[in-house]
Amino acid sequence: MAYFRPKEYCQPSNIAEFFDLLSKYQAKARIIAGGTDLLVQKPFGTECLIDISGLGLSYIKKTDSGIHIGATTKVVALENSPLLAQNPFAVLSEAAHAMAGPTVRNMATIGGNICNASPAADLPIALMVLNASVEIMGPGASRSLPIGEFFVNVNKTALKDDEFVLEIRIPRSPRSAGTSFLKLRRHQTAVDLALVNTAVSVEKTGNICDNVKIALGAVAKTAIYAIEAQKYLIGRKLDPEVIKSAAKIASDESQPINDIRGSADYRRRMVEVLVRRAIETCTRRCQLWEN
Amino acid sequence: MGKLRIMITVNHQKHEVDVEPYETLLDVLRNKLGLMGTKPGCREGECGACTVNLNGKAVLSCLMLAAQAAGKDVLTIEGLQEGARLHPLQEAFVKNSALQCGFCTPGMIMASKPLLDANPNPSEKDVRDSLTNNLCRCTGYKVIVDAVLDAAKSVNKKGAHDEN
Repeated sequence: MAYFRPKEYCQPSNIAEFFDLLSKYQAKARIIAGGTDLLVQKPFGTECLIDISGLGLSYIKKTDSGIHIGATTKVVALENSPLLAQNPFAVLSEAAHAMAGPTVRNMATIGGNICNASPAADLPIALMVLNASVEIMGPGASRSLPIGEFFVNVNKTALKDDEFVLEIRIPRSPRSAGTSFLKLRRHQTAVDLALVNTAVSVEKTGNICDNVKIALGAVAKTAIYAIEAQKYLIGRKLDPEVIKSAAKIASDESQPINDIRGSADYRRRMVEVLVRRAIETCTRRCQLWEN
Repeated sequence: MGKLRIMITVNHQKHEVDVEPYETLLDVLRNKLGLMGTKPGCREGECGACTVNLNGKAVLSCLMLAAQAAGKDVLTIEGLQEGARLHPLQEAFVKNSALQCGFCTPGMIMASKPLLDANPNPSEKDVRDSLTNNLCRCTGYKVIVDAVLDAAKSVNKKGAHDEN
């Protein structure tokens, strides 16, 4: 059938019920939570919609190991959570605030945003610099993947047909780490996908960079780490020339395409600008904690 | 399997409706409950014309299945006025001529109501932020923002009056 005409809608109230449905319909089932991606895509051949909002996966919890965020947690909750209000976790609430518009943020979920695997998505790059992991559950076993390995291609994740995302875990981070999220849109006040977005996290002693993560969005088939730029920065003094060079390296690592939002060349230049500014902001935010 | 029977509260009234699994809240409001105030614009979450309130929060009824609204409280533009008395937002939109064709108006008002409920003293930026999901192709937005700010004023005046 050429239309989106699922014959069934189910809202399982526990995980066992959920897996029964998923194994019954397999590839013909679609998981729905916020609906803001699925009901735009309206995938053909869907026979059953499984609504996971009744599984109790809407939470942001502080634990001994870090912060756990349930898959169906709304983006608006990330924006407003006191647990994500401070550096370094604030990079996630900044990304949440930059995403879509307020009405969509009232509906969209963190699990949906990562499972849609848009290369331009805002939350994944913030999660990448926080070293988050994705907790995946299958009918028999659970597994955990670093978020950077979760995305395998445009709109394609490492999830198998019989698996789903249970929660996202952010490990404890040193409070001294400085983070930053920046997003370039065609018009900065409009609701738009990113032309380029970047998240950066920096840890330093004095002015020497101890650790750095640079994640780039909308400039490759998936969100990527600028690995060479990271390597270059570690152990170096974070002065303006070094930061500039690192930004240039990150730009060379990006593999953007031409599309209606901008040219590949423009995107590469903007990677350089955004990465430089994000590192500068991180450096300032590190200092705030040192003082 | 097909039809699902859901209970849904719309504008303070309980309804029992049979819906298809793929039917959006927008289509059920308009086609099954006859509430034509909620407008279908783009049907893909870009324009905000279909904005309604779900449990007091602004959501897009085109990107929500009717089945997902089961058991929840839906408020549409038709549910704002009390008897013959318009809601302060509706009054302010009339007073400020904050519409031309009017197609975006229900969405604009339903996106603004949760803002005024939570923050009776919004700044212009607060108003503009809460309307970023709503497109208007006629007015250039200024009169709309003015109307929401004006409505906030009259909400506050009314609040002060009620306390006396």
